[in-house]
Amino acid sequence: MSVLSFPVQVGWATFRRTWRVTRRAYPWSYFIGTLMLGVFTVGLAHLGLQAIGGGQVAAGFTAATGSADYLGYITVGAAAFMFTTHGVLWVGKALIEEQRAGTLGALLLAPARRLPYLLGFAGFAFTAIALEVAVLLGCALALGARPAAMGASQAALAVLTLGVAVFGMSVVLGGVMITAGEAHITQNTVFFAIALLSGFTFPRQDLPVVLQWLGELVPTTAAMDVIRGVFTTGAGVPPGRAAVAVLLGLAYTAAGLAYLPRAERHSMERNH
Amino acid sequence: MIRTVGLRKEFRTRRATTTAVAGLTLEIPRGRVTGLLGLNGAGKTTTIKILATLLRPTAGTVLVDDLDPLRDAGAVRRRINLIAGGERMVYARMTGRENLWYFGRLYDVPGAVLRPRVAELLELVGLSAAADTRVERYSRGMTQRLSIARGLINDPAYLLLDEPTLGLDAPIARDLRRVVARLAAEGTGVLLTSHYLAEVEELCQHVYVIAGGHHLTAGSPAELTARAGCHRSVRVTVTGAGPEVAAAVESLAADLGAAAVLDRAADGSLVASLSHPGEIAGPLAMAVVGAGGTLAGLEVAEPTLEDAILALNDRAGMVSA
Repeated sequence: MSVLSFPVQVGWATFRRTWRVTRRAYPWSYFIGTLMLGVFTVGLAHLGLQAIGGGQVAAGFTAATGSADYLGYITVGAAAFMFTTHGVLWVGKALIEEQRAGTLGALLLAPARRLPYLLGFAGFAFTAIALEVAVLLGCALALGARPAAMGASQAALAVLTLGVAVFGMSVVLGGVMITAGEAHITQNTVFFAIALLSGFTFPRQDLPVVLQWLGELVPTTAAMDVIRGVFTTGAGVPPGRAAVAVLLGLAYTAAGLAYLPRAERHSMERNH
Repeated sequence: MIRTVGLRKEFRTRRATTTAVAGLTLEIPRGRVTGLLGLNGAGKTTTIKILATLLRPTAGTVLVDDLDPLRDAGAVRRRINLIAGGERMVYARMTGRENLWYFGRLYDVPGAVLRPRVAELLELVGLSAAADTRVERYSRGMTQRLSIARGLINDPAYLLLDEPTLGLDAPIARDLRRVVARLAAEGTGVLLTSHYLAEVEELCQHVYVIAGGHHLTAGSPAELTARAGCHRSVRVTVTGAGPEVAAAVESLAADLGAAAVLDRAADGSLVASLSHPGEIAGPLAMAVVGAGGTLAGLEVAEPTLEDAILALNDRAGMVSA
């Protein structure tokens, strides 16, 4: 009798498998490559603040964001965006990567359910991203960013909220990708949309009202309000927004898991 | 037992609907190797993928030990596995041992059972020495052997084999046939499709022949060849044969409605060949001896399963160009 229950065993085995394969496929280049986006974002923000704003932000920015620390604002947004995009890339692309590698059939043959399998990918993704975000924050702090200092429990709750939101979106995207038989256009469309709608690098109040409402359909929007509350304004976790982010994330997860069997069959039929 | 009744599968696109399987009724009992034969496009792989739960039938029923794969997919998947010769189905950046371990976890094989089973399977497919080498460094045959081991990782009650020896070296293919025969003897139900009909003849106790997704016939390989009415070829070598021997052979052929081919060997012997569905070796030998010839040799070539399948497909008008 296995000590671990079957779902935990599947999730853990998938985590270990992904860790091994990624380490072999991208010894250091993946880590450095993914870090560059965040570093450049913070670096450009720093240069822009110095060259254009003379190191100062407008009163309107402070009013909209609750913080006068532009670099800190951008750093938190860049780190959250990195967390989101890489979470989507790992979890959302898991099944289409199986399809490309010729292993999707072998995976679908097995009795393991998809939720623990995808949670195994998420566990790996969020562990790898934590390292990248830590380095990014180190660079940003060296450049003068000063994110709000909150307690560890508040920080963990905020990151967990974003994690639930990202996971839900990734499960849905995974189904869309194997149905469409492609990942590139789908992922970039989603990245563009959430960068615009979810308030990663600018206050959402600057968007037209219609887009602000549209953004409310995306779990990362409410999750970013939680992240901002903890790491930018220092006001703490806004309970209402945290609940919205988690409920939307869970709803996306449920919808994605309900859709995945049909998407998988569609994929098998298309490749038949 | 795996049982299908009226199994049907259509692939629909915006422009057309293709029927891959059209009302198949099959039985795959435990402890027997069942063959599924047909030319390319007959619907064999589609049928196997439906039984493996990878495709959903458009109509008809499938039951695996009385379980419905649509409602009880998890329980069915624990009972079956699929080995497909043309597909890799293993992870390139993992070693053979890591692959088997991972798939064992996906099948909920307990750790204490999995450890020795991985070693046994690696030994079985001749990969013990390469167990800790990444699959991306394997040859095609080695990868195929690992796929076979993967297909056995859950000790399935039913094993679906779709061209399992495709691309394998002869000794490994022979070893796999031995394994399949042993598994069936131990109670595993096996469904086999293969283009190597000698393999099917060797392993299968019962064969379904399909064409264009339709059921053509079923039976043991011997029954199928008999039913197809394939011709036996009988060849006699006659020494000291005069024109009367040749005339006797031609007369017999005319009486039987058989085709006769007469030729002279380098040493002057007469070589006569007759093809006929019936038993004609005796009458031919008697005709030769009766005409004064001396039999130096007699060979009978029995019709093969391949002859039978081709004949059945010809009859069904389904032979592809």
